[in-house]
Amino acid sequence: MSFLKPVKEKWAELKTRVAESWGRLVERYRILAYLPRADVLACLFVFICLAWLGAAKGAVIVVNILVTFALFLIITLSLNLEVGLTGIPQFGRVLAVIAGAFIVGGLAGRLVALMLGMEAGLYYAHHMYNYRIVDAINRILEHNVALSMGIFIMYLVLAALSGAVFGWLTSRPAIRLREAYLGISLLAFGDVMMWIGNNWWPLVGGTNAVHIPDPFRWAGDYRFYVITVVILAIALGVFVLVERLSRSPFGRTLRMMRDCELAAQVYGRDIVRVRTLSLVVGSAVAAIGGALYAIYVGTCTAMSYTRLTWTFWPWAYMMLGGIGSNVGVVLGVLVFTIIRTLIFIYRFELKYLPGWPPWLDPVYLEYTFCGLALILIVLFRPYGLVPEKPVSTLPHEQIEEMLKKVKEKASSP
Amino acid sequence: MIPPVVADAITYASALSLLGCGITIIYMCTRTFNFAHASMCTWGFYIAYACVALVGGSPYTYYPLSFLLGAFLGAVCYFTINRPLLKRKVSEITLMMSTLGYDLVLFSMILMFCDYLTLNYKLSPRMVVFSTYDFKVAGVRAATYISLVLAIASITAIHLFLTKTKFGVALRATVENPDLAAVVGIDPDKVYLASWLIGGGLASLGGAVLAMTMTGTPVMGMEAIVAMFASSILGGLYSAYGGALGGFVVGITEYLGSYLLAGWLGPWVLTYRIVIPLIIMVIALFFFPRGLAGIPWSKLLGLARRSSGSGGERR
Repeated sequence: MSFLKPVKEKWAELKTRVAESWGRLVERYRILAYLPRADVLACLFVFICLAWLGAAKGAVIVVNILVTFALFLIITLSLNLEVGLTGIPQFGRVLAVIAGAFIVGGLAGRLVALMLGMEAGLYYAHHMYNYRIVDAINRILEHNVALSMGIFIMYLVLAALSGAVFGWLTSRPAIRLREAYLGISLLAFGDVMMWIGNNWWPLVGGTNAVHIPDPFRWAGDYRFYVITVVILAIALGVFVLVERLSRSPFGRTLRMMRDCELAAQVYGRDIVRVRTLSLVVGSAVAAIGGALYAIYVGTCTAMSYTRLTWTFWPWAYMMLGGIGSNVGVVLGVLVFTIIRTLIFIYRFELKYLPGWPPWLDPVYLEYTFCGLALILIVLFRPYGLVPEKPVSTLPHEQIEEMLKKVKEKASSP
Repeated sequence: MIPPVVADAITYASALSLLGCGITIIYMCTRTFNFAHASMCTWGFYIAYACVALVGGSPYTYYPLSFLLGAFLGAVCYFTINRPLLKRKVSEITLMMSTLGYDLVLFSMILMFCDYLTLNYKLSPRMVVFSTYDFKVAGVRAATYISLVLAIASITAIHLFLTKTKFGVALRATVENPDLAAVVGIDPDKVYLASWLIGGGLASLGGAVLAMTMTGTPVMGMEAIVAMFASSILGGLYSAYGGALGGFVVGITEYLGSYLLAGWLGPWVLTYRIVIPLIIMVIALFFFPRGLAGIPWSKLLGLARRSSGSGGERR
């Protein structure tokens, strides 16, 4: 390969020269030193895309991205609590999401109907009656903001409760089984729940959607924006909750158990209790996410709760962001949501590009992209965009002071 | 004369036994729980369907092609994804997620292939009743006999491979203790590759057989994957024969069980067919977590003979 030698030399020379000039640039503008980091690049990508979409397609697209982001953030954070902190292979995230959505569609809707003196029995969910009942309810709720908000809070409380119950149920196998066995059983549970919802129509209307009394009807034309703000606020709350949890003694116990179960047992931690608690909290949060999605869409269709959307996408988001890192999860969800929206918006432009094969519908690229991203993350960036860091419980200065004291003690016996 | 329900149940069970056996072989050699089995299975069906629709002939003549395609997909997965991860000794969960990514890529390629067939050849591959290409022998669809023969032949071939060939013995040694096998001079790379070739081939072959009882759609594999997992878990995950036997048990119970229950309780039971493999799986996990192959059959039957040739029990 001697004829390649001059080319290689040129290449090396070029590389050193680029590195030198880059170094000079960094010396002049210190901020540039942060640029080659993956998380900074991802943030830049997010801002550029959001600005571009806002300018080119209008603010509605950006708001839409924010809603999707917030919904999936709630679910992915709950997944991160169970997978990233506790180490449970939760391949049945969809089960808790379904628990939240079905309780809102099936039970909470009936309670509202009962409260307002309407048909609330088995036939509430029948597709011939449901839309009439819910329409009548909505017309009452339109003028009654206090009642609407009360109903909204009832939805969330019921969803959290049912999520907690299902989390407790899934914690029973989670105590006995490990790794692949557990992942597969959780996956199967989620699937079965979806089929039950699809086949037993009194639950959520079976193959027909059940409508949900809309607690944001009073906002009129601004419903979309109001619900976006509410969901974003709840997502922020969930983020704070999960972040606080992961910094608390409970979160540290979870990490210790994940890294070495034996050590956790030696230090007297109750493994069964901690695992159960983590699953209960995580499932309750995911159920709130599912309920919010159902409220946002206004209907609840069993078949839309597939394991692809509600288990595997959140897994991909979490792995892109960094397993165990909450900030990473935020970034991962945002990046993935934006890319999926971009593909969805520009699919027709792509399709009519000259030379684009007619059989290649760009919508399928979503799957290709997501799959490739998963593979590449696993192979080349196993810790994600923002790797998990050891949590510091005390302020940094205090730890430094303590370290200094310890060192002084050690040096002066 | 076999009733059609029983005939369908036999085809379904044979397909599941091929699929479950594939999952088990890949898992016991490489610790990878293969999610990509779903799309590999669907690909096996689509390649057979495309050949039948474009070239003509009986579906059965293209089964070897299905097997080869599956083996190829398995080899691609091994070389690009699985080998680097195995070298890094990552956890089982990471291995599972990597195959999930591969599954999504394959799934998108199936969708593109379907559109390609629709646009260029005016076929409708989104909804295929593959059994219309089948022929009948003595009033029963030929798929019943052929699938059963295929399943039994595959298991026999695997058994002969594992017990009579040198490489098969090496494979079993690697499953039992990878480090010790490497010390003796067995190349684990070759063993892993062989497992992916056999497992992937069985997945696609199973998909082509499965399409004889199911409507062929791009999500066919995804719908059946719970039953596949149930089969291999029932089989115990550490014995190829266990996986095959588990497939038979799950397939027959799911098909005939739901049919009998429907006759007893009413036709609404049929829609809950998917619950049956789950119940089987839960029972298997809670009462005999090492699967059918882990039950001491010889002791139960009062035979003192030491069972030989099974895939081995590993803690």
